[in-house]
Amino acid sequence: MTKQMPPEYYKLLEELQAIDFVIVELNLYLNTHPHDFEAIKQFNEASQHSMHLKIEFERQFGPLMNFGKSYSNYPWDVDDSPWPWQV
Amino acid sequence: MHSQFKYWKPYVSPYDPCKPIRVKSYSTPPQLYMNFQPPGLPQFQSPKQALMHGTLWPQLYSPYPDPHKRGEKS
Repeated sequence: MTKQMPPEYYKLLEELQAIDFVIVELNLYLNTHPHDFEAIKQFNEASQHSMHLKIEFERQFGPLMNFGKSYSNYPWDVDDSPWPWQV
Repeated sequence: MHSQFKYWKPYVSPYDPCKPIRVKSYSTPPQLYMNFQPPGLPQFQSPKQALMHGTLWPQLYSPYPDPHKRGEKS
């Protein structure tokens, strides 16, 4: 039976996608509104939340990103499936 | 409030062999009518909602393609 990912995997990824989208929106907004303190606070909260989600994801499912943005287990599993387009 | 879509009726020639498209629409998203985004606009409640709508602020949401297709179907 080929490798199957638990539902938790997809839930975490979806949550990560949503929070990263909010970060992108706020980042673009802040490029043109540098003095908006509320937005900066929200941006920092969202970034922190995103970092926590990534740590949680990697604790459960191994490295999420390549080239040093994620730690690897032993043996090397940074190139394990599923890759992004296989998710 | 400005409409999200504008419609026009293209000219249909009597010699046109194809099925005529009587009404066409083009998208006019809210940012066209918003000069500079004011700070503190209300946001969507959850990040997922924002993701599904493609924007963080309901006032800037723009549906595409045209949900109520004028012309043939509706």
